[in-house]
Amino acid sequence: MPQSYAITAVAVVVLATVLIGGFGLRISRTTSDFYVASRTVGPRLNAAAISGEYLSAASFLGIAGLLLLHGPDMLWYPVGYTAGYLVLLVFVAAPLRRSGAYTLPDFAEGRLESRQVRLLVSMLVVGVGWLYLTPQLQGAGLTLEILTGAPRWLGGTLVAVVVVVSVAAGGMRSITFVQAFQYWLKLTALLVPALFLVLAWQGDGSPGPEFDEPARFREQRTVRIQDTVDMKLGAPLTVRADGVVDDRRYEDATVSLDEGTHRIAGGTRLTFPEGGEVPRREPGSADSVSQPLATSRADHPLYATYGLIVATFLGTMGLPHVVVRFYTSPNGRAARRTTVVVLGLIGAFYLLPPLYGALGRMYAPELTLSQQADAAVLLMPERLVSGAGGDLLGALIAGGAFAAFLSTASGLTMAVAGVLSQDVLPSRGVRHFRLATALAMVVPLAGALLVTGVPVADAVGMAFAVSASSFCPLLVLGIWWRGLTPPGALAGLLLGGGSALVAVTLTVTGLAGDGWLHTLLAWPAVWSVPVGFLAMVLGSLATRSSVPPHTSATMTRLHLPESLSVQETAAAAESGDGASAAPAPAAERRVR
Amino acid sequence: MTGTGAAVLLALCPLLLAGGFLLGRRTAHPVGRSDVGTPVERATFETLHTASLAAPPLRAGLTEDTARKAAGRLRTLLGTDALCLTNRSVVLAWDGTGDQHGDPVMDRLTTLLDTGRGAAFDCSCGDLDCPRRWGVAAPIVVDHRVLGALVAYAPRESAVLARATEEVARWVSVQLELAELDRSRTRVIEAEIKALRAQISPHFVFNSLAAIASFVRTDPERARELLLEFADFTRYSFRTHGDFTTLADELHSIDQYLALVRARFGERLAVTLQVAPEVLPVALPFLCLQPLVENAVKHGLEGAVTRSRITIRAEDAGAEALVVIEDDGVGMEPERLRRILRGEGGPTAGIGLSNVDERLRTVFGDAYGLVIETGSGAGMKITVRIPKYRAGVHSSPSSHQDG
Amino acid sequence: MHRLPGHPTQSEIDEQTTLGAAYVRSLMRSQLRAGLTAFGFLALTVVTLPLFFDALGNASVVWIVLGFACYPVLVGIAWWYVHRAERNERDFARLVHGVHGPERPPGRPAEGD
Repeated sequence: MPQSYAITAVAVVVLATVLIGGFGLRISRTTSDFYVASRTVGPRLNAAAISGEYLSAASFLGIAGLLLLHGPDMLWYPVGYTAGYLVLLVFVAAPLRRSGAYTLPDFAEGRLESRQVRLLVSMLVVGVGWLYLTPQLQGAGLTLEILTGAPRWLGGTLVAVVVVVSVAAGGMRSITFVQAFQYWLKLTALLVPALFLVLAWQGDGSPGPEFDEPARFREQRTVRIQDTVDMKLGAPLTVRADGVVDDRRYEDATVSLDEGTHRIAGGTRLTFPEGGEVPRREPGSADSVSQPLATSRADHPLYATYGLIVATFLGTMGLPHVVVRFYTSPNGRAARRTTVVVLGLIGAFYLLPPLYGALGRMYAPELTLSQQADAAVLLMPERLVSGAGGDLLGALIAGGAFAAFLSTASGLTMAVAGVLSQDVLPSRGVRHFRLATALAMVVPLAGALLVTGVPVADAVGMAFAVSASSFCPLLVLGIWWRGLTPPGALAGLLLGGGSALVAVTLTVTGLAGDGWLHTLLAWPAVWSVPVGFLAMVLGSLATRSSVPPHTSATMTRLHLPESLSVQETAAAAESGDGASAAPAPAAERRVR
Repeated sequence: MTGTGAAVLLALCPLLLAGGFLLGRRTAHPVGRSDVGTPVERATFETLHTASLAAPPLRAGLTEDTARKAAGRLRTLLGTDALCLTNRSVVLAWDGTGDQHGDPVMDRLTTLLDTGRGAAFDCSCGDLDCPRRWGVAAPIVVDHRVLGALVAYAPRESAVLARATEEVARWVSVQLELAELDRSRTRVIEAEIKALRAQISPHFVFNSLAAIASFVRTDPERARELLLEFADFTRYSFRTHGDFTTLADELHSIDQYLALVRARFGERLAVTLQVAPEVLPVALPFLCLQPLVENAVKHGLEGAVTRSRITIRAEDAGAEALVVIEDDGVGMEPERLRRILRGEGGPTAGIGLSNVDERLRTVFGDAYGLVIETGSGAGMKITVRIPKYRAGVHSSPSSHQDG
Repeated sequence: MHRLPGHPTQSEIDEQTTLGAAYVRSLMRSQLRAGLTAFGFLALTVVTLPLFFDALGNASVVWIVLGFACYPVLVGIAWWYVHRAERNERDFARLVHGVHGPERPPGRPAEGD
């Protein structure tokens, strides 16, 4: 793909983001249309914003790459990302909005009336945010490398700088509109090329989809292996090789490879015959967005699947950038409706990545060998649509991918910086928020630059796992159980979230060993979520006397529909007996 | 079966007994048991009556005048020969036989006034029949503060009197506490009235109505609309429920206010609004932006012959909302502004500014006071920071409901 | 003090009496039941699906079910839940206010969206 197209697309996306953020809402309004200006954000706009912020690079590029590498089991990722909102809807959405909390620490403090719980939640929020930001930056580096050949560190740094500058300088003034725009941009960037790809596929005679494992080459194809890889063959295969295979040099010669693992040196060209089985890459120096913890997955696929399901289904509700979005809803009912629209929008989006994955298995199966599986989405238009059309479609996808990095990264940075400036940094003020923004980005950027050998897509899964085992119990029990006490919540957060965090850290640093232990630590949600819930319940039961004093009032506020809330009825009563009435009891209680 | 039934009955017995006992306690009533009342009952009535006579003076607080009025009743209540009421420094009233004749009462009370614990003392009077040979003092405590003491005298030591004095002092304390409550309630009402007056100045009401009246003939439709705006604005300003409102409601009320102002000044006043919708649900103290806008309008139009421009911005800044109100009017000397914020600006200077500043600090903490940038002739820029969440600050929108 | 005329139940809730708490608890129970029903349906399906796929061993089914068919189901469950939750809230409002529903303050009509 010509670099200029991609660079232009990325530049346009960055520019559009900055323009809409900075100037979109600066159209001066006179008082006459003030009423429009003072309207709260409706469910549809807010839902598009939530979706725009939520659909990260892992969704935009990663899923298709994962499907290419590991087959249909990876479809649980998008399903989990979507279903997480369903769980959020049925247990959390409306009460969370009614609590009036802006961040999770706010919720914890409001519900449990404890500064300690607030502090612990703050630390976990920052941890989860950083865990989620790191792969975004790494993914940006990878994408820019594939698109333009720029060094790996450039993409991440570029995204980090754009986000910090625009957030800190107040460029994201109307973040709702920016994020909503990003959603539609991402959808368009995948949908339009997808339509052309499907047309091209039909023009190709609609070959039957290759759903079977393993994938096979549809035509003779030559693959250049960039870095040395170990590839695994399920059956004997004859290829033409030009380079070093299994430490032997071949000069464009035919080689018969046995079943098993073969080492292909970097720079080798392999020509696979039509109908040949696509070899799998053995995990080793894995550093691509879509490289999951392949060993543990291969060892215990069913356990890994359940680990993935639990983490994504229950983890969504605790993601820092998801929670803050609900504050924008005018009330609990709107928050609920917003979530349904989010489900619809995200669901619609997730119909597309599998399409790319399926087409990728047909037209670009060799990407699994070239460490560029994540490029599948980026490279598909070029493969199927010839000429400038393919290039333009590719550029559109590149722009969408960058929108994905920018929107998720800026949302997360805002959320993490908010928590940092409120609970970690000593003094307050606009300047301190800027400092917090920089701090929120520096740590994950350093992580992205230093820890390159970490399977990146799994960092996202790990963020979900930590969130699911700490925030999910806190939110669900906090909203539905009056018996929750601050010590119980602390115990649950420490044991659930802490154990998940430790497991994740051990896996990332490679200290987890192998076999079952590694699998358990790599997919902690299956056991850490019950641990979190159990610790919270037992801890609360053991400290029954320290139930927060205003629990009953808080519960009423969380669950009472706004139409029955105190103010509303007080206003109704007031209209009856005039403005001279003494302050309503509710008003007095509110002062506390 | 019968065995089990018996056991259950047996187990139920204590419960039934306890229930019956409680029921009896609840329903038992002294009235009706005896037509004329027992001596104990008659004594009770008498005591209650005396107490009720002593109460009204005390409800006006503890002063020399009220103490004198109450002391006689209290002495009757205690049945002693002499009694005195003190505040923290002097004897307020003396009642009963004999004169104070130099008895150093206040000296005896120093520990009591410090610790709030009762005391007894011997007067070392030579006369055996002196009605003031022995005294007992009990503290009068209101709101955890010792306000004074009740001292009763007797010819000889008496545990009964000691106890009775303690109880009467407690009763006095309660009465005084009620007095305090009465006073603070009055203060609240006064403050409310003052606040209401501050909220809507009579000039504004008069000018608005005059402006509306001027439209009645030329543009009745506009007059009708303005009248509705006026009604809405006053309803919001006079609302009595809840200390907190949402930014959406507050901005809405400002909009109505500005519509009324513009009816008067027409094209001389240009207003620009930039509102980020994310911050509209933020909860903030009721009517804390409107005075700032009013201030900006006043400054903008003061002495300005040409147009004046007011800009109101509400921005999202992470965990906080930022509201900026700017005018290009006459501005103010920083020193004068400092005095106003200290509350020394005199009655004409913007009560609004210092009031808003104070309320914001009370609710959100000192870090959240007003930030004002101004200079003489340089306009004024007021920045308000509002945290999106603060424990105890809750508001649900009342007019922007989705119903 | 200012009681709310005609709506004694409302004031029980506002003043957080034990009776008011009982009302709120009953609302919570009905909402939790709706939530658990939706979640239970989701959980049951999700727990059995991997086992089912494993037993079936047919990749095309996995592609079709997880890639396309499950999203309408998710949105359907969500829609059902919202419908149910809002009905619960309406029923509760009716329970508290009597059949006529809550009184609205007079003023700007039709402000909502």
